[in-house]
Amino acid sequence: MLTIPTRAEVVRQVRERGERVAAVLPIHYPRALLRAHGFQPMEVWGPPSVSVVEGNAHFQAYTCGIVRNATSFLLQGGLDAADVIVIPHTCDALQGMASVLKDFIEPRQPVATIYLPRAARSADRGFLQAELHRLAQQLAEISGRSPSGGELMAAIEREEEADRELGALAEHRSEIDLGDRDYFTLLRAREFLPAESFIELARSAPRGRGPDRGVPLMISGIVPEPMDLFDHINEMGAHVVADDLACCSRRLYRPGSASDPFERMADALLGGPLDPTRGSPILERARAVASRMAQCGAKGLLVYDVKFCEPELFDVPLLRKHLTEAGLSMLHVEFDMTGSIAQQTLTRIEAFVEMLQ
Amino acid sequence: MNPKSYLAYTLGYQLFGKSFLSWQRHSDERKLRAIRPAPDDPLNPPLVGTARMKELMSRHYLEGRYANGVRKVAWVTSGAPIEVLRALDFFLIYPENHAALCGARRHAEGLAVEAENAGYSRDICSYARTDIGAALSGRTPMGKLPRPDLLVCCTNICQTVLYWYRVLAAHFGVPLYVVDTPFLYEKVADHQLDYVLEQIEGLIPVAEKVAGRRVSRGRLQEIMEQGKDCAELWLEIMDRAQHRPSPITAFDGFINMGPIVDLRGEPETFAFYKELLREIDRRIEQGVGAIRDERKRVLWDNLPVWYKIGKLSRHLGAKGVNVIVSTYTYAWGELAPMMDASDPMRSAARVYLHPILNRSTGDKLRSMREMVARFQLDGAILHSDRSCKPYSLGQIDQRDNLANDLGVPAVLLEADHNDPRVYSDEQADARLDAFVETMEAA
Repeated sequence: MLTIPTRAEVVRQVRERGERVAAVLPIHYPRALLRAHGFQPMEVWGPPSVSVVEGNAHFQAYTCGIVRNATSFLLQGGLDAADVIVIPHTCDALQGMASVLKDFIEPRQPVATIYLPRAARSADRGFLQAELHRLAQQLAEISGRSPSGGELMAAIEREEEADRELGALAEHRSEIDLGDRDYFTLLRAREFLPAESFIELARSAPRGRGPDRGVPLMISGIVPEPMDLFDHINEMGAHVVADDLACCSRRLYRPGSASDPFERMADALLGGPLDPTRGSPILERARAVASRMAQCGAKGLLVYDVKFCEPELFDVPLLRKHLTEAGLSMLHVEFDMTGSIAQQTLTRIEAFVEMLQ
Repeated sequence: MNPKSYLAYTLGYQLFGKSFLSWQRHSDERKLRAIRPAPDDPLNPPLVGTARMKELMSRHYLEGRYANGVRKVAWVTSGAPIEVLRALDFFLIYPENHAALCGARRHAEGLAVEAENAGYSRDICSYARTDIGAALSGRTPMGKLPRPDLLVCCTNICQTVLYWYRVLAAHFGVPLYVVDTPFLYEKVADHQLDYVLEQIEGLIPVAEKVAGRRVSRGRLQEIMEQGKDCAELWLEIMDRAQHRPSPITAFDGFINMGPIVDLRGEPETFAFYKELLREIDRRIEQGVGAIRDERKRVLWDNLPVWYKIGKLSRHLGAKGVNVIVSTYTYAWGELAPMMDASDPMRSAARVYLHPILNRSTGDKLRSMREMVARFQLDGAILHSDRSCKPYSLGQIDQRDNLANDLGVPAVLLEADHNDPRVYSDEQADARLDAFVETMEAA
């Protein structure tokens, strides 16, 4: 059994090291840049179990649950430990959140944004490098720390190493002797553990013959919340053999080779796995998902989307069409960002598993 | 050029189509002039110039029916840098405008259902569902849309267009060029401007390859000048609402904005708006307002509810409320001062970075507050548009700020710009009635 520190424990350790905490919203951002400036990223993907009263006072009910929950969490003091809030421009909803925070809510912590280009042309690379320089300047102003090129490169190499470990866990799921919930808890520890701690943790994951119970599924979507989803899946007679989750495998960035740290970070972010929020062509993505499913023996794809997530929703019909043509099944369900999963959703997943059996 | 297509184009569009539409416009003008509103009608007679708008838009879509094989066709987002494409003589289709026309003509729901049946969620933008439904079914109230040779998507209005155009690219199997515009949380930075400039310049070889010809810089400059002239004229029209009573409503703006979106810079568009301005000025001289008894002047924020324009204008007009200006229609003119034909590419980059939807929620509030002062407004209706999140997110704070800090009553009206299934007359009327009462008590 793995022992994973809690977020509160990590915050305490970060403070003891004299470093700061950055609350970071989804999805893609330069971890190494934050670390080099003395910030430990703590990602905020909801969380699911908060009252959304405060969020609803600023955002309409048709806004993605991640935004409403995260705003509530902030206003309830859940992000008090953070010294900065970083909001990547992932979608219209997070754009709105960042803007409302900066213009109206004005939290105690500064709000930093980063715009991620939706393509990977030379113009996009150049822009992202400039955008990273801008963010670095802002972080330096907040922390008072300006890392040297060498320090930044060391941080990048650490994060690349952690990404390699994450990639190995994702690639060799069948050899990781952990149940689905524990396995995804381990992957998601990357959301808040320092790279060096994650590397250590990943290397200590028990190897052997992984769980092989029932129907093999692949899971896609933004974030699998609440995590007892995996318990339900197992109880239904299925298990998860691979993922295409924004919080996990869509962030398996390839290590860069450029000697300039900013160029290297930009290359990694733009060269990451296919992702609708980054404008990846749908058919290319569908082919990649089908190929991954075939590779890991998944019989079906469970697309588990947080409600009102437009980038995900637009891909669903063509993804389904492509997978069907490839002889693979797909189920798309949506969930509200709450502490429990609707019975209706579980019934649909169960029927899907039964169909695959 | 395909000779058969050219023959059909010449006969169907150039010869018969245009003549028929011109005749129809004269007929519509006569009918509009003859309108004598009933004594209990809160609205004054409609603008006669609207007949020419109908002719222009019908002519545009009619040409579209015959465009394939004669002109290269590009489907573009409403905020796309079209100057390069116009300079290469592309025929342009604006799917958003097409969807709006479907909405106004009450065809949107049927088309959206086509998309929903194909698996597109009801939670995605209703413009996108309308157009995807039209693409999948081949149905449109405009007869037929030409197949695109190129798709150009600019993210300055939302990210939704990127997801939507990816679907179109997969459906049609044509190239998609993305002009990505970083959202302006603050004032524009040099690297943001340079980025957009580089992408607009990058569009040139892509478009030239599809068009099979080279762009002329002189023509580009000329098009920028024409675009600026049109935008300035549109702004002048919108600004006429400062008069009391206002000679126009925001609903007039919604109805007549088609040409400034689809045909901006075209000489016919300029002539149309020039004539419309003259008609509005005649109203001002005669002291005629758009509604008979203007007691309250109100701002509209966000896109219109296309399928309820008539209903809303009458309901509010009956209570002496004139919705005179909107942030949405104003957006098509407010950037005119940024356009500089002597530096067409850089000024295009600046303009296409600054639409209201690409600026912060605080900046939008500043625009609204400035409009409240300049147009002497008594209240604001913020259309909380389920289908347009970038426009709608932030409205709760904007409303609170207008009401609490500025003392201007403001209401959030829950609706959707194109999907009538999420609109409730009863609830909307009740909300608007309460809002009017608040204004009267203020």
